[in-house]
Amino acid sequence: MAIGKPVVRVEDERFLRGEGRFTADYTLPFMLEAHILRSPHAHARIGLVGLDEALALKGVHAIFTNVDLPEGLPPIQCRIPTHGDLSPYLQHPLARDTVRYVGEPIAVIVADTRAIAEDAAELIEIEFDPLPAITSPQQATADGAAPIHAPGNLAGRWGFDLGDVAGALKAAAFTASDSFSIQRHSAMPMETRGLLASYDAGRNLLDIYGPTKVVHTNRNMLAAMLGMGEAEIRMIEPDVGGSFGARGEFYPEDYLIPFASIRLKRPVRWIEDRVEHFAAINHSRDCTFDVNVCADKDGIITAFDVKLVTDMGSYIRTHGDVVPSHAAASFPGPYRVRNYRVDAMTVMTNKTPTGTYRAPGMFEANFARERILDRLADKMGIDRAELRSRNLIRPEQMPWHVGTESVKRPTIFDSGDFPLIMDRALQAYGWSAPFEREADGWKRGRGICVLVEPSGLGPFEGVRIEVDQHGKVQIFSGSSNQGQGHETVLAQIASETLTVPMDRIRVRHGDTGIITFGGGTYASRTAIMGGNAVHSASVGVREKALKAVAGKFGIAVEELDLREGAIWHGRKNEPLVTLGGIARMLMPGNQEILTSPSAGNIPDNDGLVVTSYVRGVPSGAAVFAVHMADVLVDPETGETKVERYFVACDVGRQLNPLIVEGQIVGGVVQGLGGAFLEELAYNEDGQLTTGTFADYLMPNVYDAPPITALVFEESPAPTNVLGVKGVGEVGPSGVGATIGNAIANALGAVSGLNKLPLTPERVLHSIGFGGQV
Amino acid sequence: MKPAPFDYFAPTSLEEALDLLDRYGPDARVIAGGQSLVPMLALRLARPEVIVDLNRIPALAGIAEEGSTLRIGAMTRQAMALASPVVREKLPLLHLGLENVGHPPTRARGTLGGSISHADPAAETPMIMLAYRATMVIAGSRGERTVDAGQFTLGTFETCLEEGEILKQIIVESRPDEGTGFAELSRRRGDFAMASAAARIRLDDAGKCVEAHLMIGAVAPVPLRCDAVAQALVGEEPSEACIREVVRLIDLDVFEFDNPEISLAYRRHIAPVLARRALMQSVTRARELRK
Repeated sequence: MAIGKPVVRVEDERFLRGEGRFTADYTLPFMLEAHILRSPHAHARIGLVGLDEALALKGVHAIFTNVDLPEGLPPIQCRIPTHGDLSPYLQHPLARDTVRYVGEPIAVIVADTRAIAEDAAELIEIEFDPLPAITSPQQATADGAAPIHAPGNLAGRWGFDLGDVAGALKAAAFTASDSFSIQRHSAMPMETRGLLASYDAGRNLLDIYGPTKVVHTNRNMLAAMLGMGEAEIRMIEPDVGGSFGARGEFYPEDYLIPFASIRLKRPVRWIEDRVEHFAAINHSRDCTFDVNVCADKDGIITAFDVKLVTDMGSYIRTHGDVVPSHAAASFPGPYRVRNYRVDAMTVMTNKTPTGTYRAPGMFEANFARERILDRLADKMGIDRAELRSRNLIRPEQMPWHVGTESVKRPTIFDSGDFPLIMDRALQAYGWSAPFEREADGWKRGRGICVLVEPSGLGPFEGVRIEVDQHGKVQIFSGSSNQGQGHETVLAQIASETLTVPMDRIRVRHGDTGIITFGGGTYASRTAIMGGNAVHSASVGVREKALKAVAGKFGIAVEELDLREGAIWHGRKNEPLVTLGGIARMLMPGNQEILTSPSAGNIPDNDGLVVTSYVRGVPSGAAVFAVHMADVLVDPETGETKVERYFVACDVGRQLNPLIVEGQIVGGVVQGLGGAFLEELAYNEDGQLTTGTFADYLMPNVYDAPPITALVFEESPAPTNVLGVKGVGEVGPSGVGATIGNAIANALGAVSGLNKLPLTPERVLHSIGFGGQV
Repeated sequence: MKPAPFDYFAPTSLEEALDLLDRYGPDARVIAGGQSLVPMLALRLARPEVIVDLNRIPALAGIAEEGSTLRIGAMTRQAMALASPVVREKLPLLHLGLENVGHPPTRARGTLGGSISHADPAAETPMIMLAYRATMVIAGSRGERTVDAGQFTLGTFETCLEEGEILKQIIVESRPDEGTGFAELSRRRGDFAMASAAARIRLDDAGKCVEAHLMIGAVAPVPLRCDAVAQALVGEEPSEACIREVVRLIDLDVFEFDNPEISLAYRRHIAPVLARRALMQSVTRARELRK
C-alpha cells in the first residue's frame, strides 16, 4: 500500500542529475529574445518616447510600447472576489501615460539575443516628468496626499464586527494592546519567471512554455485578452524551480510575450533576470496591525479589536485583496473568541503591486495575535501556553464557524482536537521543563505560536487517468507542480487503489493541452483537491475494469477483485487479466465492443480511461499547528541564534511523511527569512533599495537550526474522502510570532519586538537601546 | 543583467597584462576572481571597454615563505589562503578574517588581491593587511613600487593604484610571538559586516602588553586604526576590566556609515563590543603562547 509511505520523491533524481527541464532550457527555431524596459521612477508621467536609435541597432526586431497594444485592450482583471470595487486600480500590460512603481513595464524589446535587447533598452529615450512618490500608507492617506489613481489612495475599507467588542473591552479584567508591522517581502524562487511563446500563424495556435500554478485560469484570461479561443492556446508547465504563491498571477509579461510572438510570428522567449524579479514579482506581507485584546479574570479571552492597514503597492493585481482578506477573516486563530472586530484598510502606494506569498495573511496575523497574547499572559501572570490552552476551540465545537469570510467564502474550521494536539506538543517539546536562562553571556528564551492554517481552497480539481495496453498508468492532472512533490504523492494515491507499483505510474501536470479543466496549485490544495480527484478517478478505473471483465468472462463483479494490477477471480483465487489486458480490450479498435456508425449513438468506449473532477469545499480543511523554539540572544549586540525549532501539527492523514516533513522544515526556514532577514525596502523616492541578493538576505543552509516536525493524524478532514489536510503553509505561518516571543522571553522585554524583520538593532531596541523601546 | 559589450583579453604573463593596460588606458579594467566586478558588469554599473583577465597568470597566485616573511600573490584564492597551513600558523589573523569572507562558493573564486584592490569598506582582508602593517607590491609598465597597506586603501572603492597598475603581491611579516583576535557582526554569516574588529597583541614574560594593534572595519570608508587603544594597552596587564576600559578610547566620532537598517548609533554601540572580543581573543592566545 502506497499511501502513508515515506516514498522518495520521483522528481528528485532528474533534478539531482541536472536533467530537469526549465523554461530557459527550451529553445525553438527562429526564436527571438525579449527584454522588458521598466520604469526607473516610482511615479512619473511619460512624455515623448523615442525609439529610432534603439530600433536601428543591429539585431533588434521590434519594440512595443503601449501605443502598439490593441485599442480597447482592458487592464489585467482581478479574478478573485474583492471587498468593494477595486477595478479603478487595475494594471495595463504596458504603462500608458503614467508609471506608478519602479519596475513597471514600459516597453518590450525583441531582439536576436537578450544582450542586444538590453543594449537597445539603453538607447530608448523617454521623457519622464517625475511626480512625488508615496511609499507608505500613512503618506498615502494623509490629508492632501496626491492620488496615485483617480479614486484616491484608500482603495478599500471594510471589516467585520462580531459580538460585542465594546462591551467586552469595558468589562475586561486584563487588556493588552500594541501595534505590529510585518515587512514587505516575497517569494524568491531559485528559478526566476520565464516564458517562451510560439505562435503558429497559419493555424492560429499559440503554445506557451513557462506558465505554472494556474495554467488553465491564465490561459483563459489570455484568450480573452487576445480574442482567441481557449483551446487555441496551450500553456505548458516545464519543471519549475519554486513558486511559493507568487508565480501564478497573471503578470503583464503573461500577455506581452505571447503578444510579441503573435505580432512577429516567431517564437519569443523572456527569461526574467534576478534584478527584474525583485521589482516584478508580486511583493507581499507589507501590513500593520493595531491590536487590542482583552480577557476576563479567569484568563478567558473576551475580544480582539484589530485595525489592519495593508500596503497594496501601485496596482491591484489578479489576487485582489485576498491577503488582507485572509488576515482579517482568520485573525482570531484557534481561539473561541466571539467578540471580534476588524477595521481593514487597503492602501495604494508607489511600490510593486502585492499578491500572495506562502501563508498569505496568516504569517502576518499570527505574528500580531500571538505576540499580543504573550503580553496578555505576562500581564495576567500566567504561563503563555496555559493562556492559549484555556482558550482553544474544543473538539465538540467543531465545525467552528468564525463568523467571518474571506474572498466571499465563510471561514470554517472543519475539524480538529486542538487541546489534544496542544498538550502533546507541549509535552513533546518539554515546554514546562526548566532551562538554563544563560549560556556564555547569551540569554536563552522560549517562544510559542499556536495557529490554524486553512488549506485546500478553490472551486474544483480534476484528473484523467489513462491505463495503456502495457498496464502503465498516466495521470493527467489539472494542478501544477512547482517543486512540492505532486508527481510522487498523486502516483501514491493511484498506486493504492489501482494496486499498480509506483514505477508504472507517471503524473503529468500543468499543461492545458492534456486536460480540459484544471484548478491549479495554491492554498495548499493539491493533496486535498488533486489527491481526491486521483482517488476518485482510480476508483473509477477499478470499477470500469471490473465491469469490463465481468462482461467478458461472465462473472459477477462481486466475485472479482483488483490485486497486483490484475483482475482476479475471487473464488478461484487466480488472475484473469491484467489492467493492461483490460485496456487492450476496451480500446475503441476492439471489434467486440465497437459499435457500427449506423448505430447512431456511440457508447462510452474510450479505453481504460477515467476523468474525474471533484468539487471544492468552500472553507477547505483547517490544520492546527503549534510552533515552539528556543532562541539565544546576545544582549550586547542583539545577535540571535535559533537553537531548536519545533512544529507539531495535525494533518488529518499523511500521504507521504517525507514530503510532509520536507514541507514543514522548508517552510520554517522560509519563515526564518521573514522573521530575521528578508525585506523589500524602499527609500523615500520609491526606489527599491534591496534589489539584489547582496542586500536582500535569505536564510542559508549554514544557519538553519535543527527543526523537528511532529505530525499527527488525529482528525482526518471530514470533507474529503482521503481525510487529508494541506501542509504547505503551516511551516512558515507561525515563525515570526514564535521567534518574536522567544526573543522577548530571553530578554524579559515587555515592549518592542513588534516589527519584522527582527534585526539585531531592533532586538536591542526592545531593551532600551537607542532610547527606543 | 547582461553586461554592456566589452573586449576580453586573457594574458598569460604579468608583462602581457601590463602591456594591455598600457594600451587601453582608462578603458581597461582587470578582473581577478570577479566576485564584485561580475555583478557590477551585469548591472551595468561598471562598463569597461576592455577586460583584462588575470586568472591565467600562474605567477600571480601562491604563498611563498622566506623566513618570517610571507609573500602572497594577489591572485591567491581566498579559499586557498583559508585552507593554507602556512597562513593558519604564520598569519592566524588572516585565517580568522577569511572565515568571515563570503561563502565557500565566493571564496573559491574570490582572490585576496581582488578584495584588497576593490576596497569595499566592509571587506575583511584590507583591514587585516592594515592590521598586519603589510606591504603592497604594485606592478606597472614602468616597473614595481611598494606602498604600506596604510597608504594603499584611500576610501570607499578607492586605492592608490594608478592607471595601468596591478596589485601584484602582498608582503606580510609573521610574528610568532603575538596573539591575534577577530570579531565581526553581520546580518547573516559571511555577509557584509555591520562592524568588525581585528586585534594583535604581544605580551612580555610578565604578561604585560608590549605591543598592540586594533582595527575597526565597516564603519567608515577606510578601516580605522585605533592607536589610542593600542597605546593605552602597552605596559598594562590586559585583564577584561582593562580592555573594557581601553575600548572606550575608540574614536566613535569618526564613524560615518548610517543606514536605515544599520544605524550609526548601532555601529557605535557594537564596535567597542567587537573590539573587546577581538582583544580578549588575542590576549588569550598570547597567553597561551607563553605556556
